[in-house]
Amino acid sequence: MRVFSNMVPDILADMQQTQSALNVALQQVSTGKSVSIPSDNPSASADMVQNTIESANVDQYTQNISSVLATVESANSALSSVVTSVTQAVSLGTEGANGTNNSTSLATLATQVQGILSDVISDANTAVSGTYIFGGTVTDTAPYTADSSSSTGYTYNGNNDSNSVAIGDNLNVQVNLPGSQIFSNSTNNVIGALSSLVTALQSGNSSQIESATTTVNSTINYLSQQEGFYSNAENQLNSQETYLKQDTVTLTTQATNLVGIDEATAATNLSEAETANSAALAAAAKVLPDSLLNYLSTPS
Amino acid sequence: MGGLNTSLLIGMQALEANQAALNTTSNNIANSNTAGYTREVANFSENEENLDGDQVSGGGVTLEGIQSIRDELLNLQIQQQTSQQSSADTISSGLSSVEELFSSNGEDIATTLSAFSSSLSALSASPSSSSAQEAVVTAGQNLAQSFNTTANGLTTAQSAADQQVTQTVTSINSITQQIAQLNSQLSSTNTSETNGGTLEDQRDELVQQLSSLTGISITQSSDGEVITTGNGTPLVMGGQSYSLQTTTGSNGFQQVLDSNGNNITSDISGGTLGGAIQLRDTIIPGFQTSLDDLASQLAAKFNTAQEAGYDSTGSAGQAFFSVPTGTTGAAAGISVALTSGSQVAYSSDGTSGSNGNVANLTSALTTALSSGQTATAAYSSLVYQVGSASSNATAQSSALGTSLLQLTNQQSSVSGVDVDEETTNLIRYQTAYEAAARIVSTVQALNTVTLDMGSGQSY
Repeated sequence: MRVFSNMVPDILADMQQTQSALNVALQQVSTGKSVSIPSDNPSASADMVQNTIESANVDQYTQNISSVLATVESANSALSSVVTSVTQAVSLGTEGANGTNNSTSLATLATQVQGILSDVISDANTAVSGTYIFGGTVTDTAPYTADSSSSTGYTYNGNNDSNSVAIGDNLNVQVNLPGSQIFSNSTNNVIGALSSLVTALQSGNSSQIESATTTVNSTINYLSQQEGFYSNAENQLNSQETYLKQDTVTLTTQATNLVGIDEATAATNLSEAETANSAALAAAAKVLPDSLLNYLSTPS
Repeated sequence: MGGLNTSLLIGMQALEANQAALNTTSNNIANSNTAGYTREVANFSENEENLDGDQVSGGGVTLEGIQSIRDELLNLQIQQQTSQQSSADTISSGLSSVEELFSSNGEDIATTLSAFSSSLSALSASPSSSSAQEAVVTAGQNLAQSFNTTANGLTTAQSAADQQVTQTVTSINSITQQIAQLNSQLSSTNTSETNGGTLEDQRDELVQQLSSLTGISITQSSDGEVITTGNGTPLVMGGQSYSLQTTTGSNGFQQVLDSNGNNITSDISGGTLGGAIQLRDTIIPGFQTSLDDLASQLAAKFNTAQEAGYDSTGSAGQAFFSVPTGTTGAAAGISVALTSGSQVAYSSDGTSGSNGNVANLTSALTTALSSGQTATAAYSSLVYQVGSASSNATAQSSALGTSLLQLTNQQSSVSGVDVDEETTNLIRYQTAYEAAARIVSTVQALNTVTLDMGSGQSY
């Protein structure tokens, strides 16, 4: 077979190949990515779509947790303050029921319990950045307002609904209990019980005072249970926050594995590509000028 | 027995023959970088010997002719692979602009979809915040915009392929006319003695160009070369060329017609034309359908969720997205119908503090659409389709490039001009020419001596 001495096409192809490998290596080092466009790695690009969306969601869930946590913590502390107030009311009621008080001291006790009732109402009307937290889903109106026509002297303006906030894929946490459940429940009506105690103290009837005090006392347990709901929610939010932090790390690692590049490998690839390219160029420079003409003397 | 004149004659023939060979060599060297040039070789043959009784003496040399060295089978293989490579290249370069649309560039659908999903999640934490409500509408607008941009980008790529069809058909017609002309010149000059040489080189080069424009098939007939498209539509028959035509089809794109007006668009494969048609009529429409399905199904599902809730004023939710009727064009036409964040139906009970419907809105994004896939899964499989179509075309082009290089090298080893070889020939013919010249001068000297024999004076 005739051997063709013109190596230009082969050398051109080699140089293009090494140049293109060099371009790829350079791009990977400079961008830190092994996949810039879908065709670099179609399946990794498809997985990255999922990763992008999940990462954004995880970021948002984390933000949701911090904003919800503020609400839940306020609710929790409002409830503990209510429990403290109600416990005081019980001791005032017990004092009023011991039969040693004259009408003046009973009236004082009644005023003190009335003050406790106002504190409880004020706690029930707690708002976090302008949003009332015990009104169910009615958040723009104070849940309890004074109402002389009501037997308790207060009326509930909220509803019986509650909100749940997304803190994970398919994970929603209920973040509030309506005031109607906590403070004016039909079986455990804190506001009603306190209001009855005031009335009983004002009337001065010891057995009435005793019975009203027992009712108030029974609501403490119930209130503690409601407080437990918020403590649970707080725990759930905190543990989910920890999980999301881990998830962020997992997702970042996944993204690096999919489209990122190990810097050491990238640098090695680049230097290999450089060497290959220089070798191809050097070989071309050495081989191309070779011709028989170089060895012939000029005709005289 | 021949006299001195015989030697003179033989010397003269040798001078002529070697001069012709020198011409061939210099022409080869001159054309060593001419595309399509096939090297030429001067063929010598010895003349009939002179018989004089029992004595036989040689009759000198004659130049038989100049022959171009070519391998038709190799040419054919190169043409076929060129067609395939050119088709893959057309698809690959067409898809490179499409791919950008699906790359993570901050405005792609993956990014805006995730921002939309985040905005809903933020709304769930603070439903009554008007800024959170506005953010949902803005994120929805960005998502719709991404769909529009992507769909428009696909249409642009499709139009570019369409223009390529028209331009390529024009080029094909111009080349087939030139080939037909060369064919008729060749049939009038191509006697058995000489071969086509330059004309044939030109024709082969044109056929090579034609094969990069469209897949062709070549047969030899009594009229000369017959070139048809892959499906048998004649392009050149001997000295006659048949022009392809284009006309706007019912889909708004240029259709390719043969010289009789039959639509052969779907039969064309290979070459720039085949690649552009495949890109325009098969590959891009596939992406468009997936994108339209996604836009239309996502909009429908989200609107249903939106209509199940109440907005901040307590009114029943109205459609969030507006999409054109029918799936086609959904991605290009999708827009946000709401004008204000207060119209986002986040509430499930009509109170402004409820976030009960946000979960429904979110689940429109996270649960399966009517296609059976979630929006994310549908989009990521579209990204995969685009990426693998592009990487396949590139890989195919590069594989064909390697085998084409081998074929071209083989062709060069048959037809290419090797400067070293020509230099060697140059020396060979130079030496032979010098020797022949020496014969002439020697015979002349002998003649002088002979003439001097009979006279006193010197010639």
